[in-house]
This record gives sequence, C-alpha cells and structure tokens, in this order.
Amino acid sequence: MQKRLAYSLPDEVLEHVFSFIQSDKDRNAVSAVCKSWYEIERWCRRKIFVGNCYAVSPGMVIRRFPEVRSVELKGKPHFADFNLVPDGWGGYVLPWIAEMAGAYPWLEAIRLKRMVVTDESLELIAKSFKNFKVLVLSSCEGFSTDGLAAIAASCKNLRELDLRESDVDDLSGHWLSNFPETYTSMVSLNISCLGSDEVSISALERLVSRCPNLRSLRLNRAVPLDKIANILRLAPQLIEFGTGAYSAELRSDVFSNLAGAFSNCKELKSLSGFWDVVPDYLPAIYSVCSRLTSLNLSYATIQSPDLLKLVSHCPSLQRLLVLDYIEDSGLEALASNCKDLQELRVFPSDPFGVEPNASLTEQGLVAVSLGCPKLQSVLYFCRRMSNAALVTIAKNRPNLTRFRLCIIEPRTADYLTLEPFDIGFGAIVEHCKDLRRLSLSGLLTDLVFEYIGTYAKKLEMLSVAFAGDSDLGLHYVLSGCKSLRKLEIRDCPFGDKALLANASKLETMRSLWMSSCSVSYGACKLLGQKMPKLNAEVIDERGPPGSRPESCPVEKLYIYRSVAGPRFDMPPFVWTMNEDSTLRLS
Amino acid sequence: MSDVELQLCLALPTPDITKGFNSNNYHGLGFDHLKQTSCFGDRKKRDFEQALGNFSDECNAMPLLLWSGQPNEEDDNHKYRNKRTFTIDDMNDAEEDKVVGWPPIKSWRKRTCHHHHHHERAAGNGNGNGRSIYVKVKMEGVAIARKIDMRHYHSYQHLTNSLISIFTKNKKCDEHYNARYTLTYQDKEGDWLVAGDIPWNDFITTVQRLKILRLNLQTQPQTGPE
Repeated sequence: MQKRLAYSLPDEVLEHVFSFIQSDKDRNAVSAVCKSWYEIERWCRRKIFVGNCYAVSPGMVIRRFPEVRSVELKGKPHFADFNLVPDGWGGYVLPWIAEMAGAYPWLEAIRLKRMVVTDESLELIAKSFKNFKVLVLSSCEGFSTDGLAAIAASCKNLRELDLRESDVDDLSGHWLSNFPETYTSMVSLNISCLGSDEVSISALERLVSRCPNLRSLRLNRAVPLDKIANILRLAPQLIEFGTGAYSAELRSDVFSNLAGAFSNCKELKSLSGFWDVVPDYLPAIYSVCSRLTSLNLSYATIQSPDLLKLVSHCPSLQRLLVLDYIEDSGLEALASNCKDLQELRVFPSDPFGVEPNASLTEQGLVAVSLGCPKLQSVLYFCRRMSNAALVTIAKNRPNLTRFRLCIIEPRTADYLTLEPFDIGFGAIVEHCKDLRRLSLSGLLTDLVFEYIGTYAKKLEMLSVAFAGDSDLGLHYVLSGCKSLRKLEIRDCPFGDKALLANASKLETMRSLWMSSCSVSYGACKLLGQKMPKLNAEVIDERGPPGSRPESCPVEKLYIYRSVAGPRFDMPPFVWTMNEDSTLRLS
Repeated sequence: MSDVELQLCLALPTPDITKGFNSNNYHGLGFDHLKQTSCFGDRKKRDFEQALGNFSDECNAMPLLLWSGQPNEEDDNHKYRNKRTFTIDDMNDAEEDKVVGWPPIKSWRKRTCHHHHHHERAAGNGNGNGRSIYVKVKMEGVAIARKIDMRHYHSYQHLTNSLISIFTKNKKCDEHYNARYTLTYQDKEGDWLVAGDIPWNDFITTVQRLKILRLNLQTQPQTGPE
C-alpha cells in the first residue's frame, strides 16, 4: 500500500510560496510537479513570455493562465532585422490584444518585439486595460503617432512607453499633448526612433516637468541641442538620458548652460543619442562621465581622437556602443581605462565601402579582451581578422557569453595565414564554456561546426552566413549543441540530409531559419507532414513551390515548434508544409 | 570532392545546384537516386516518399533519414573557396547593397550612416561652390585608405601637408624616416599621373583617386593603380 502524505499544504500557502518564484523556467518546473501544483500555479502566474507568437494561440494562453498581468511576445524571426523576411509575413498582435481585452481586464504590461502593431491595436489597448502601465514596442512597425495619441489620452497609470527601434509613421508631434495635465506617472519614455522634425518641444517640457518619477528619457534626433539644458533642468533625477541631434554652432553660453545642466543630474548613469555630434560640445558631459555605466555613441560620427578622449573620462563604463571610428587606438584606451566593461558593440561607419575608412582591426578587440576582465558580450564589425587573434581573445576571456563577429566581406580568410577561421572560432567555443550566443563570419569550413557541436554545450543561439562545405556542418550543430534554441542560417550549402536526420531535434528548439541554402521542397514537405509538432513554412516569392520539381531548393524555410498548429494568417508567398492545412484565409 | 557549388549572391539557386552533389560522402544511405537529380528531371514524388516510408510510424523518435554523418578521409583536406569570388570594383558603387541583408545591420542604422554620408555630400564646406568632393587616398604600405574632401584644401602644398599628418599619425616614425614619397592621382580618363602639373582648380575637378607612392631613390616611381 502506498504511503499517503500525512498532510498537504493549503492552497493559499502554496500560492504564497509560488509568488516568490519569478522565472518562467522555475514556474514551469513547479507546474509539472503534480496536478494540484499545476492548478495552483496556473492561477497565480502573472507574467507570460511567448518567444514565438505562433507557438501557441492566445486562447490557449488565456485558458491556462487566467490571471495574467504582463505579457511579452515576439513575432518575426531575427533575420527580419536585415530585410530577409518580406513585408506582410505576419507577426500581428491584434488577435492577441483582442482576446486579452476580454480575458485580462487588469493587464498592466505588454512587451512586443518584431511584431506588427496597428493603431487599432493601440486604441484597443488604451480602451481595454484600466490599469495599463507598461508598453514596450521593440523593432515593431505598422502604427503611427495616432495610436500613441490614444495611449497617451487614456492610460492614466502609464509608467513606461518605450518605442525602441520601432518604425513609426510619424504623422504629428502633437500626440505628446494628449497626455492630460493631470497625468504625472511617467517613469520611462523612449521616443528615440521617431522620425519627424515635429516633436512638440513645449509639450515635451510640460510632460517632463510634471512627472517627478521620470528616470529614463530618450529623445529623438529632432530635439535640438539648445533645448536639452532646459529639459535636463526639469528632470535632474534622470538616470538614463538620450539626446537628440548633438550639434549646434559653438556658443559659449549654450555650452556652459548645457554643461551646468548635465552636472546637475547627479544620478545620470546612461547616455545615448548623440546624432550629428559636434565634438566641441562633448566636454559638456564630462561632469557625468565618471559615473557613466552605459554609453551609446553608435550614431556619433566623430573621429578617433575625440572618442578616445571621451572614453578616457569614463572609468565606470560597463556598456559601450560605438562606431568603428574609435579605431584600435581608442579601444586600447578603453582597455586601459574601463576595467568594468561588460559589453562592447562596434558598428561599421561605412558598411558598404570596399576599403576600411577607419583604422579598426582585430587588434582593438584583442586589446579589450586583455584589458577588460569582465567583458561578457561582444558585437564587432571589422574588415580583417586572424585565427591567432581569436585564439588570444578566447584564452583571455573565457567568461564570454555572447560573441558576435562580423567580418564584413563574406568568406574573408585569416589575413595572416589565408586559412579559414575554424581554429579561431573553435577556440572561442572551447574556452568560453558559458557561451550562449554566437555569430560566425569569414571563411569557414565544416570543421568549425564540428568544434561547435563538440564544445558549445550551452549555446542557445547560433547565426551562420556564407559558411560550411556540406550537410555535415549542419549535422554537427544539430546533433551536438544540446542547448540550442535558435538557429539561423543564410547562404550555406546545407541541404536535406542533415535536416531530416535531425528532425526531432527541431522539436527541442524554438525555431530554425534557413535561406539561400539547398533544402528541397520535398524535404520541407516531409518535415511538415511527419512532424506534427513543428510548423514548417516555406517563404518563396517565385510562386507556389508545388509548381517546381520536388528537388528544387526553396528560397527560405522557417521551422518552429508550435502547439497551435499551422497559422491562418499567412500571406501569399508563405506556404505551410503541414498536411492538414489546405485551408488558407486570404 | 566539394559537394554543392555555392551560390555567391542571392540570385536564386539554378537547377545546376544539385548536379555536383555527391552523396558518396555519406555511408549507408541508399539515396543513389539523388545523384541523378536535376530540377527539371523526371522526378516522381513517390520515389522520395517510398524511400522514407518506413519511418511514418516512428517519426517522433527517429530521424527522418538515417545517415552516419561520418566524413571520408579525403574530406580532411578541405579545398577552400577563394577569399573573394566577386568584386566590387568601383568605390562610387560602394554604398549600394550588393547582397541583401549583408552586412547584418538594421535598416535604421544604415539610414543613419547613409544620412551622414549624404549630409556630407550635400552640404558644402564653405570653399565657394559648396559640394564636397570625396576621394580615397591610399598610401603604399598602409592597409587603411582614407577618404578626404578635396574642398578642404586650397593648394597642393596644403594637401600634401595634410596627407603627411594623416598617414604618419599611426605609423612608427622610423619606417618612413628617410623615405620619400610622391603623390599620384587617377584622373577622369582613368590615367594615373603625378600630381602637381595642372592648376589646382583643374586638379580637384578631375581627380578620382589619390595614391602616395614610395620613391625608390634609384629609379623613378612606377605610376599605376597597384
């Protein structure tokens, strides 16, 4: 006879205990313990993260978790950032908002990434959620300032409005005036992506002056330099600030006013913006530099000497985004000055130029890897690299968790040895045992994938372009990388074999993207038909794949696991390979 | 032995892409018919599914294809592709996208860069006629080329003085100690000439590129693009 538990904890106690468990992973584990824990847990889950909006339907989420307060959704695949996903592909948020409007009247936060948001969706949000507090639209599109006006007018408790990197139809700057005079709760406002010149500065100033809790303010390019001082004086409590265009005729009164305003902000830790920088105005921020932990100069087209000087004033820097104008010399200065640096991103100032227009090479990255013991996250665009440098970086910085290298010219070889970068990236995955994200570039054979499959056991996301020789490469990755969740591949000679041989692996991943590879229509169909837990979608703008022979490679393939079955909102150039979806709503 | 011929640009793969496909590298496959595949061949749908019919019931646990995935011995000596198999030869075209979505930079960032370049092109810098004239300057022995705006300068002397300071900034002095250089330029007709012979104003309207060549003291400098 089985022993029964002498007692069990009352539901309220369990619920209270669960309330301390925030992470999704832990919550999922809790819900799998037993039926009663599943029930209790689902009623008290407040935050939902859906990494792929098509992996589950809004109805399923709502049925399981009836009391959610915060929803985070991601839509398009990552390569949409680089124009590889045609317009109209999908990722519409409206169906989610529509269902949540009824089911979650107390919803407080919506965070979206790479989704299509319409003014209608925004209006629905404004109308439906009385206690709405947080709206983050990251790399979203499809909406205009009219939608924002609706949010401003209705959301009395709004704390956070963050439009980072979204593509907004900027119809008028007057939407800011829609925040009523009684509205005072803004904590974080990011409008840096807004395009027009029509931002109503006075509305902005009035808003800032009546929001005493404002801690993060990121302005757009159109806000002129001479307005910044006033805004800063209205919000000296700011922790994060993004300027507009940082240029004006050099005038000492404007300069000293600006410098004074910055020095007044005793808690300022993060600066960004800096479009169109006039170097002579940079010293205005020197008073805050010693406290700065985050600096985004990735729009600042200033030259190396100015960048070097600036960076030397910032010993507390943890995060730096910058253009390659910083050059190796600037990175060497960074390495000696900024011992707390955790994240570095270097973007190309002239990405399509044939020859380098700044003296930035692998040396800069090597210097930073040596000098900055806490460096964890790297995004680096450069034009030359060597295996020796990569090996050095790997040995210097085994604590790297994100390493994205973009050698601008596809298939560039090691400039010293003319060899592929297999050894170099091999060293990275071998030494950096906690590596979670990796982007490859340069000349690479199947060997690099063998290394990755062998060593990269914690790798969750891998981006591959113009690499490999054969299906073996893909096979190594799919069979070796235990933690892999997202794999995106373009222009590689990977075909059916590795994909089909590792089909069940795909069910353990969020998604796989393959474009300009050699996967045949036949293989896609097979995957779609034999793997019901996967949605296999072919994106092909040449017309129906069925009009071509089965062996013909498809343009683009996107496979993702889903419990919702094939989606119904596919545009004409997307075909589902799943058997039972002959119906398509056009 | 190399398997699939790689398409270098995003033009859609041609039917020939499967012709070179050699499945000999994969043992125990039984997919010989794939070798004869061509897109416009007489392929029947049935063949493909027949071969995999065994797996229909067990697909959840088993791969859809049994493949040993072991490389041949021969594969160890990989033949590398050439470093560059396509050329972008004219710097004036450099701003165009040659490959969709590469380098992987978000569009708004590209717009910002582009904006900057256009901004510079459109705005003059006060030397009369307004429009900037950008040319690339390369110095023999230095990997990094520079871009300069000819409108910044008003004479050959001014130009050469500036170039000296730009190029010796990061170089060790002793490399250039006692070296002599000459400034050459490529004109509108594509010819490479020694700078200094024509009036300055004519020079800035015809110059396309600049190259600083090291003078070999025994012989005359070679004039030519490389």
